[in-house]
Amino acid sequence: MLRFIQFACTRAAMAVFTLLLVSFIVFTLMEMVPGNCAERYLAFKNTQGEQISIENIRAEEQRLGLDKPYIQRWAGWVGNVFLRGDFGDSCILRVNINQLLGDKIWISLGICFTALLVAYLIALPVGIISATVSSPGLNNSLRLVSYLGLALPNFLLALMIMLFSTMVFGDTLTGMFSKEFRDAPWSYDRVIDFLSHAWLPIFILGWSATAFALQTVRALMSDEYGKLYVTAARARGVTGGKLLWRYPARHALGPIINSLGFDLNRVFNELPIVAVILTLSEAGSLLLEGLARSNDQQLAGAIIFMLTAAIVSLNFMTDILLSLIDPRVRKSVMGG
Amino acid sequence: MVDQTAMGAPIKSADQKSKEAYFTASQMQLVWARFKKNKAAMIAGTVLIGIILMGFFAPFLSPYDPTIAGRDKEYQNGAPQIPMFCDHNGCSARPFLHTLERTRSIKTNFRWVTEINTEQRRYVELFPTGWEYRLFSFELNLPGEALDIAIPGFRMTTHLFGVDKGGIHLFGTDHAGKDIFSRTLHAIYTSLAVGTIGVFISFVLALVIGGASGYFGGWVDGVLQMFTDAIRTVPAIPLFMALAAFVPDEWSSEARFFFISIILGFIGWPTLARRVRTHLLTERNQEYVLAAKMCGASPTHVIRRHLLPSFTSYIIVDLVISFPYMVLSETALSFIGLGLKEPVNSLGVLLQSVTSADVLLNYQWYFIPVIFFVGMVLAFVFVGDGLRDAADPYSDHK
Repeated sequence: MLRFIQFACTRAAMAVFTLLLVSFIVFTLMEMVPGNCAERYLAFKNTQGEQISIENIRAEEQRLGLDKPYIQRWAGWVGNVFLRGDFGDSCILRVNINQLLGDKIWISLGICFTALLVAYLIALPVGIISATVSSPGLNNSLRLVSYLGLALPNFLLALMIMLFSTMVFGDTLTGMFSKEFRDAPWSYDRVIDFLSHAWLPIFILGWSATAFALQTVRALMSDEYGKLYVTAARARGVTGGKLLWRYPARHALGPIINSLGFDLNRVFNELPIVAVILTLSEAGSLLLEGLARSNDQQLAGAIIFMLTAAIVSLNFMTDILLSLIDPRVRKSVMGG
Repeated sequence: MVDQTAMGAPIKSADQKSKEAYFTASQMQLVWARFKKNKAAMIAGTVLIGIILMGFFAPFLSPYDPTIAGRDKEYQNGAPQIPMFCDHNGCSARPFLHTLERTRSIKTNFRWVTEINTEQRRYVELFPTGWEYRLFSFELNLPGEALDIAIPGFRMTTHLFGVDKGGIHLFGTDHAGKDIFSRTLHAIYTSLAVGTIGVFISFVLALVIGGASGYFGGWVDGVLQMFTDAIRTVPAIPLFMALAAFVPDEWSSEARFFFISIILGFIGWPTLARRVRTHLLTERNQEYVLAAKMCGASPTHVIRRHLLPSFTSYIIVDLVISFPYMVLSETALSFIGLGLKEPVNSLGVLLQSVTSADVLLNYQWYFIPVIFFVGMVLAFVFVGDGLRDAADPYSDHK
């Protein structure tokens, strides 16, 4: 037990370290952008007709603490994020970022996780069956589906669905809430309304995730299925679903759990683009808004940090989970 | 006994020949022999070569300039025109189009309306003289004088096909009257170029980082792996959006193009670097490496002359597999307006305007380029898979 706690602590420390490293990379990138927050904000004021001098910029820099050295500012930022969960103020909008992101980021994360869940709910049984049933028709059609999932990227799929729905139903199926619920507080009706809109992004994001997951599951299962211990089990008279679940599926499960973090990464990659097409005002398109329209570094940094944190914590959880369910890993963690 | 040797000799020699050919074949020959057996991959390969050739000879194949200079003012948002051989006036061996007439009268509420006159024909001609272009030319105009490169190439004005009067638009035209067929061909070229540069950059990075990590092992490996893993956890596209948004608006389209390819390269390397590392870690303990080291070879020499050749085929396969993802990322970025911009043509640029309801409802031919790109990506994926199976020496035994 002690060894397990030790293992969990090392993993947690490594996760925190990765996050620190990532935050440093992100912060450095944000820093490399020409012009700082004070200049940009005052330039914005300038367009509103105010006269701006160098002194104004310096004063503003001092107020925001931009005159301090780079490492000190990074430490301050990271400290605020880790200890208080506070991302500071957005540079352009002058609003606290936590307030700006609010439940939008949770909705986005929820959609991504649901998409991943749906993908594996489909991919696990279908992949296992296709690896064990040797019917060329089924195998070829599955291969085609997963290749299409790779070749038809999510945003093209979203476009195709929009094209189809406008041609057939005359509705573009966009947005995350109906008009009357957009700014309303959470209630039963709002949840229903949300769900009636959320299935489409979940489906679209899940589409290529399913294709990837299907390929992984199939490859792992067909590798394991040909091994001698499966033949031995069959010789002892184990058959059907029991044979699959008891023997090869357990072995194949490890690498699958291990790769969950990268699957989530892939879903996050697709999120902003799908969000733009479906005009979801969730984290994805907020990111685009923050970056493309106004170069809002703070907002962008906060979003990228949140997404990475989600992946890192998922990786941490899968590590722990693996050490609990996989005897091979458990042995190497606990020793003897 | 005598009988047997006499009978066996010719058979044996033929058998031996094929065996000898097998044993003396280079790795590439073996891979090719296995690849040829995979029908789907062969078909995909043919399609892929066709698409690449289309991209390379885009200016020759396209009847019109894909930029605003080649627009057809008389035919904006025009539907695709398919050349035909027969109409109600009879058939002709030469394909033709009907004439378009723009009219305005009280009947059309005094708006210009394009009508098809089915009585008059315009014949398709081969090799007409059209807009001037350069084949195999290469120009680069990055910020800074020293980085400008220009290879003039051939000047040509001949195109594959055209019509005698008016325009021929196989895939229709867009809102400015630009020919979508010409734009698609040029977009294929752009995507291939972006992908090639991106793959090349990530390849070099992966070799250097993965190579160092795998060859030296120990703490170098530990530090580099930590760094690689951290990079791998950051979702690439959001980060990429953050970077791409910093490209100043006044950059030329070529500079933008190179910037995008470079970023793509910087994002793609970790996966490949990991594979290089894993391979080197197992390979560096082999005897031939030890022998080379005993002879006093330097680390770079050992990596370059002994270790890299041991898995060139795997690297090539990985490059082919990662190619479509480069193309897709470029498309996605350009599509949201952070990647390439006009007058450069790429699929993302072509698709920028399609989300408007007007296009979705009335001008569905804007989507034709999508078919080409899905085809191209699928072909790449199939060829990559075929190559991977062919490069795996154990694939025969399964």
